[in-house]
Amino acid sequence: MKREHYRKIINYSALSLSGLAALAGLFWLVFILGDVLVHGIGALRFELFLQDPVPAGMTGGGLRNAFIGQLMITFFATLIGVPVGVLGGTFLAEYARGTTFARVISVLSDIMVSVPSIVIGAFVYAVLVKPLHHFSGWAGAVALAVIMIPVVLRTTEDMLTLVPWTVREAAFALGAPYYKVILQVVYRGAATGILTGVLLSMARVAGETAPLLFTSFNNTFYSTDMNGPVASLTVTIFQYAMGPYDDWHQQAWAASFVITLFILMLTVSGRMLLKWRYKK
Amino acid sequence: MPIFSKKNSIDIAFSTITAVAALTVLVVICGIVAVLFKESWPAIQKFGFFRFLFTVEWNPVTSVFGAASAVYGTIVTTGIALLIAFPTAVGIAIFVTEIAPNALKGPIGAAIELLAAIPSIIYGMWGLFTLAPIMSQYIEPFLQKYLGNLPLFKTLLAGTPMGIDLLTASVILSIMIIPFTASIARDAFNLTPGVVKESAYAMGATQWEVVKDVVIPHAKLGVFGGAALSLGRALGETMAVAFVLGNNHKIATSLFDAASTITVTLANEFAEADSDMYLSSLYYLALVLFGLSFITLAVAKLFLLRAEGKHSR
Repeated sequence: MKREHYRKIINYSALSLSGLAALAGLFWLVFILGDVLVHGIGALRFELFLQDPVPAGMTGGGLRNAFIGQLMITFFATLIGVPVGVLGGTFLAEYARGTTFARVISVLSDIMVSVPSIVIGAFVYAVLVKPLHHFSGWAGAVALAVIMIPVVLRTTEDMLTLVPWTVREAAFALGAPYYKVILQVVYRGAATGILTGVLLSMARVAGETAPLLFTSFNNTFYSTDMNGPVASLTVTIFQYAMGPYDDWHQQAWAASFVITLFILMLTVSGRMLLKWRYKK
Repeated sequence: MPIFSKKNSIDIAFSTITAVAALTVLVVICGIVAVLFKESWPAIQKFGFFRFLFTVEWNPVTSVFGAASAVYGTIVTTGIALLIAFPTAVGIAIFVTEIAPNALKGPIGAAIELLAAIPSIIYGMWGLFTLAPIMSQYIEPFLQKYLGNLPLFKTLLAGTPMGIDLLTASVILSIMIIPFTASIARDAFNLTPGVVKESAYAMGATQWEVVKDVVIPHAKLGVFGGAALSLGRALGETMAVAFVLGNNHKIATSLFDAASTITVTLANEFAEADSDMYLSSLYYLALVLFGLSFITLAVAKLFLLRAEGKHSR
């Protein structure tokens, strides 16, 4: 009898501990998001989106330059990263399906997804910034694209693999060449999944700071010139938060709120899209 | 593949384009290794490998650079982070797969995964403005008061708690890596065949005994893979740590001391490096970091592939 009691006690305490662990995870999520929400909404003003920064130490001004810069860098990163990723994933799932080459690239991409982003920043600095002697928005976009490619490539590969092989055979039977089968049949079947991959990869790079520190650098002025340094929200947040002025901190919180909201919306919609499409 | 039998010129063009796109991943990885080697070559020649790794001094003025303090900071912060995150993540995975009622499984799992979606700069902001003051005012004095007199903890918890230190950075890192370990562990637990669990229940095992003796041994490889993956992630994390670690090049014996990691050094000093040797040494650091994280991630992938292979058989 005593031994059974002992086992029951162990059982309940171990299970309660794991429940506590889940509570701890939820606690951190609510704590962090709530903190960003409270600080961010309090600091949110219309000028933030409409005005450029004022000289350091003065109050007022906004972060229009950083919002525009962030959008530009993310847009061009997507423009470079998504086609390369989708096409690469297509090769792995279609032309090279089942080969060692496809497996190697696939494993390397999985590793690339988690490689420190600051190393990618240093890599792009050596390739695109040092030889040209100036920071540029393009370098930032390329750095983000490098991070994006493996993410998009892997999702595309997975999503194309989910399309049943018999569907392709049906198209082959009608005499369609492989590229037509891929473009008109396979892509159509996997479109939602690929779109999800794109959304999630955008969410991933939109919050990246480290690779932008020494590629697109920062710019206190409004600039749409991708050949020069371009301000980004994330680098501005870093600079403002580490700075000494209270007004800077307020703006950093507001910017953090906006960027968190943007990224969470992308992530959640991507997830929901996936769930809705592959429900059954 | 039956398709290659009938060649079509557009098809050849399309397959070539996709092949080139797939090759970019390989090209980028080789490019990173080549560029890091090339840029750090002057520093490699000047400081060697082991001397660079074990020199503590990091002095741009005299142009003497050693990686010891940065590597030390990286290893300590990730080590403590993993120590905190691993049990929590496994606990979450157990809760989500075995204990939670079905209606809660999905939402709780999704909420935990949302932690991974929060950008690292937000963790940094939150750490600097919210967590660091809490650590310095409540948690660190508390730890000092109750554990500070034990032999080992005397050195570990020495000094005035400022909040900008190794411990705060580790706590933030641990929160960041929980979702990675938790979601992989959850997937691994879910692969345990129901029949095996049921037979253990039929023998009269309690729920915990089933988890401990059936589910966890079954999912071992996946769980270790998940842990190694989070370790690789934590090694390279930059912004969350940059906010709360200071950038202090020394071997700090106390967890309440400001320190530095490879990533923090790079983030703070890269754009300011004014001499060639300085920049070269920073690239050398980046190379060390790349090597460390690449190996860790490769090991993680190996574990996960093995776990997968075990189940597809």
